Amino acid sequence: MFGLANPERFMRFTRPVTPGLWALAVALLAVGTWLSFTAPEDYQQGDTVRIMFVHVPAATLGLMAYAALGISSFFALVFRHALADAAARAAALPGAAFTALALFTGSLWGQPMWGTWWVWDARLTSVLVLFLFYLGYMALRASIDDEQKGARAAAVLGLVGLINLPIVKFSVDWWNTLHQPASFLTPGSSGLDPVYLPPFLTMLAAYGVLFSALWLTAIRTEVRRRRVLTLRARKALEA
Amino acid sequence: MLDLDMTPYAAFVWPAWGVSALVLAALAARAVIASRKWKRELERLEKDQSATSDAADSNRPQVAQSAVGPKE
Repeated sequence: MFGLANPERFMRFTRPVTPGLWALAVALLAVGTWLSFTAPEDYQQGDTVRIMFVHVPAATLGLMAYAALGISSFFALVFRHALADAAARAAALPGAAFTALALFTGSLWGQPMWGTWWVWDARLTSVLVLFLFYLGYMALRASIDDEQKGARAAAVLGLVGLINLPIVKFSVDWWNTLHQPASFLTPGSSGLDPVYLPPFLTMLAAYGVLFSALWLTAIRTEVRRRRVLTLRARKALEA
Repeated sequence: MLDLDMTPYAAFVWPAWGVSALVLAALAARAVIASRKWKRELERLEKDQSATSDAADSNRPQVAQSAVGPKE
């Protein structure tokens, strides 16, 4: 595992893995979409239950991507490891996109079910804060000309943002919110009807695999980009 | 059985799925395009570099090839 911290070994290992992940993500998304639109409508929520199959995976991956960003930032800060910094940077854009999708699809689900597009309750607000952390991370990196200084400043922000993850997760337990509490794999809860498990789990797996493919591709791109910058700098020195 | 009739919630379900599909497709396209762009650029620079170092090597004096073996 730690051997993959070496960029060359990482590139060699991920070269055959990445196309496989892309193919698996496309297959899972196709199957998940089919299952989502063949599942029966909910007796209370009607067809809006189908929004769950894109909303919950997006929210889950928004959180997981930030965990990846935060942990990578920790390794980049403590060990000054270039690959860890590349991993943190690579997780930011997909994570922000998944979080934005969670907010957007949640709003579309909330209007017919709660009667409102948005409410400033703990869950929704903490997810919005998560999205702002992503934007702040990317903006901070882009705003500092010295790439290394920008990476360090963004890594500190990335680490601080980790505090928000348990707040997002447990907000529905710690405060009264309009958002429903966790109902999947929670002991004692009514849980998800078994008929919705195949589409839900397939879409969750699809989003997870897609994020892995996006992340690995972006890390590989970042490794190449840095190599190009090094070669250009060397060429400029020789000239 | 495929059920595409979202009445009366079509205005909520289709935008949720449509925008999700668009965003995921855009993420994938951006990742692949960026990956190809930097891969091409790296290959070009590495080719340039090896050509330059070959040219530099050929200008230096060298003992008989049989003495040093084949170049790796």
